Amino acid sequence: MTDIATRAARVVQSPGGRRRPGGGGPRAGTIFAFVIPFFLPFVLFYLVPVGYALWQSVRVVRRTGGQYGTSYTTFGGFEQYTKVFQNDEFWSSVGRIGLFGIVQVPVMLFVALVIALLLDTPLLKLKSVFRITAFMPYAVPGVIAAIMWSYLYSPQLSPVVDLLNDIGLKPDFLGPGAVLWSAANISTWLWTGYNMLIMFSALQSIPQELYEAAKLDGASNWAIAWQIKVPIIAPSIILTTVFSIIGTLQLYAEPAVLRQISSNISSTFTPNMLAYAVASGNNYQQAAAISVVIAVITFVLSFGFMRLTSKRAGL
Amino acid sequence: MSSTITRIRLGAVAVAASVAVLAGCSSSSPSTKTSAASCAPAKGKVTLQYWNTVPGMDKVVALWNKKNPDIQVSTKNISNDQYGILSNALKAGKAPDLAQVGYDELPNLRTQSAFVDASACSAATAAKSKFVPWTWSQTSFGNTGVFALPQDTGPMALYVRSDIFKKYGIAIPKTWDEYAAAAAKLHKADPKLDITFFDPNNAEWFNGLLWQNDSQMYSYADNKWQVTVASEQSKQVADYWQKLISGKLVRTDLANGSTQMYAAYQKDQIASYVGAAWGYSMFRDNLPKQSGKWTIVPMPTWGSNGASGDWGGSTVAFMKGGKHLYESVKFNTWLNTDPEALALENQLGGLYPAANAGLQLPALSKGVPYYNNEKIFDVFADSSKKINTSFAWGPTQKTVNLALQDAMAKAAAGDGTLYDALTTAQAAALKSMKDQAIPAAAGK
Repeated sequence: MTDIATRAARVVQSPGGRRRPGGGGPRAGTIFAFVIPFFLPFVLFYLVPVGYALWQSVRVVRRTGGQYGTSYTTFGGFEQYTKVFQNDEFWSSVGRIGLFGIVQVPVMLFVALVIALLLDTPLLKLKSVFRITAFMPYAVPGVIAAIMWSYLYSPQLSPVVDLLNDIGLKPDFLGPGAVLWSAANISTWLWTGYNMLIMFSALQSIPQELYEAAKLDGASNWAIAWQIKVPIIAPSIILTTVFSIIGTLQLYAEPAVLRQISSNISSTFTPNMLAYAVASGNNYQQAAAISVVIAVITFVLSFGFMRLTSKRAGL
Repeated sequence: MSSTITRIRLGAVAVAASVAVLAGCSSSSPSTKTSAASCAPAKGKVTLQYWNTVPGMDKVVALWNKKNPDIQVSTKNISNDQYGILSNALKAGKAPDLAQVGYDELPNLRTQSAFVDASACSAATAAKSKFVPWTWSQTSFGNTGVFALPQDTGPMALYVRSDIFKKYGIAIPKTWDEYAAAAAKLHKADPKLDITFFDPNNAEWFNGLLWQNDSQMYSYADNKWQVTVASEQSKQVADYWQKLISGKLVRTDLANGSTQMYAAYQKDQIASYVGAAWGYSMFRDNLPKQSGKWTIVPMPTWGSNGASGDWGGSTVAFMKGGKHLYESVKFNTWLNTDPEALALENQLGGLYPAANAGLQLPALSKGVPYYNNEKIFDVFADSSKKINTSFAWGPTQKTVNLALQDAMAKAAAGDGTLYDALTTAQAAALKSMKDQAIPAAAGK
């Protein structure tokens, strides 16, 4: 799966970049030997399952008669896809995730950018401490984080809720209107530090002379930040946005954990949860079709965003 | 490393699952092998695979292995994702000889041709007399074969905080009407106190309540499954609980067995629990300080109809992967009828046996210290006898349960009613059967 990250990074850094000529010749064997450790698992655990999912998605279950009968699968063309497109639950889960992403991704990335810029100013002391603190949530596995937050949200157990109750507030973090944002909060908490680190690394690689030149021209710290730093690290911001779009469409762990304590998260809350629910009802073919549609939407959105922004940014 | 890695890995369940089943994809032609299983003993030593979800089952099996050097059994605990693992194994052609399957999932797996019919073995058909009748009829699908042997059951009863009822001078309710009246009185006496909770995420529990009221959700007639999830009897149960929910007389924010649930009981916010036999150890183990405060009585009844319900319970099924039917029957029979095995399973795994012999176990006729030394298993044994034996599950129960839960949660949040949830579940049942090419129609 690392390939997604590296590929995305490569594309961002040199969109439509030219391939270096060469390969072949006496070095081909050596190159092949080096590539095998990546290529073999890539084929086995990436290409083959994707192919299998595609194959499953064009099949349907048929059955010989009787009360229980015997089932078999056969080619069904686009039947499974038609069902996906006609499934209201699928579209409402996609819509829910869309709403989630439109709010959560900008908030998270804005916070990440602000922290990265703050860490990059010479004004701030104890930088490494701040950097570690901001990055720390990322070290917590997603499921663990979700369990931890579910305790903080739970009116029965949470000291936070108790405290808010004491000052007269009656929050219902798990209520029908709030639970989506409670899940968004967990994602934000988990991934802000990670995105911040990518942006911060990009900031570190900007040559200091640029700032000195800007200062000589009379630019304020504010102007340096927004007019020099941000445009220069735009590729990193685009990269983190693409990651976040992919992550949003794959959302599963946080709502699945919150579902244990809130009945306001249905089994079809996110597209991935729907695929899982359908698969657990033995409808593998339908689940495969859902997964393929999610993958296509993810692909279109992330690469569409990349093309759009790289044109705008003139990259 | 990238953040996407973790997220994608968590998300791509379907893709991961397909890797697991890659080895043996489903055939594209109907299988001709039905249940032409023979019952010849194997020559020499055999090893059986037995997958289960019961804690301590390895110790029970160790006892068998010591006594039967020629029929060795190896266990695997699949409690993490029981039916996911079983379905994947079946699809990959790697199913074990025997596996634990809940009663409600039996028809589902049968439509996937998951079982072998053990009725070729006379020992299997002869076991009928050893089990509580309704458990047998569910595993034999109305005597069309023997596909599993019953293991445990979940006869339902009412767990009562007798101290709270006494404090407010309220008699322990015997009927659902009395229960609703008690709910109102308790809530009036203390607004922070509710009689029980309604877990919208627990279709299994609600199904137990429907079962009690003789809701025949599925039957087979005219070459079709007749689906009546939203029947008159179901409506009565749904309307009853809807009233309690709308009147805010029951909590709807707790999940069965969750830390939050125990916290609410710990804080004396809830006065009773509509539960199954296997639940007795939950309170004993999680609320030790309430020892002596609980009593177990028969579950409230619908008027003069004294029927009880069942929540959960499992069987040990003869799976398609088995090659040693004779030995499997031998082990399965021992596992689920031998007094020594049953006692061990009750002690280690909390199982309430489905075998008649189990009901006479010394451990089950003694008083239980946590419950004031009351003979609580007498209540469950009595409940077990009053369970409607003709209740049948549908072939796509899991999908129906999920749909029911999603809709019950909406009802609990004030969006629709529990009866709406039943009609939603009915539609889901018909749709899922259509998806699986199972002929089905809405019943009357």
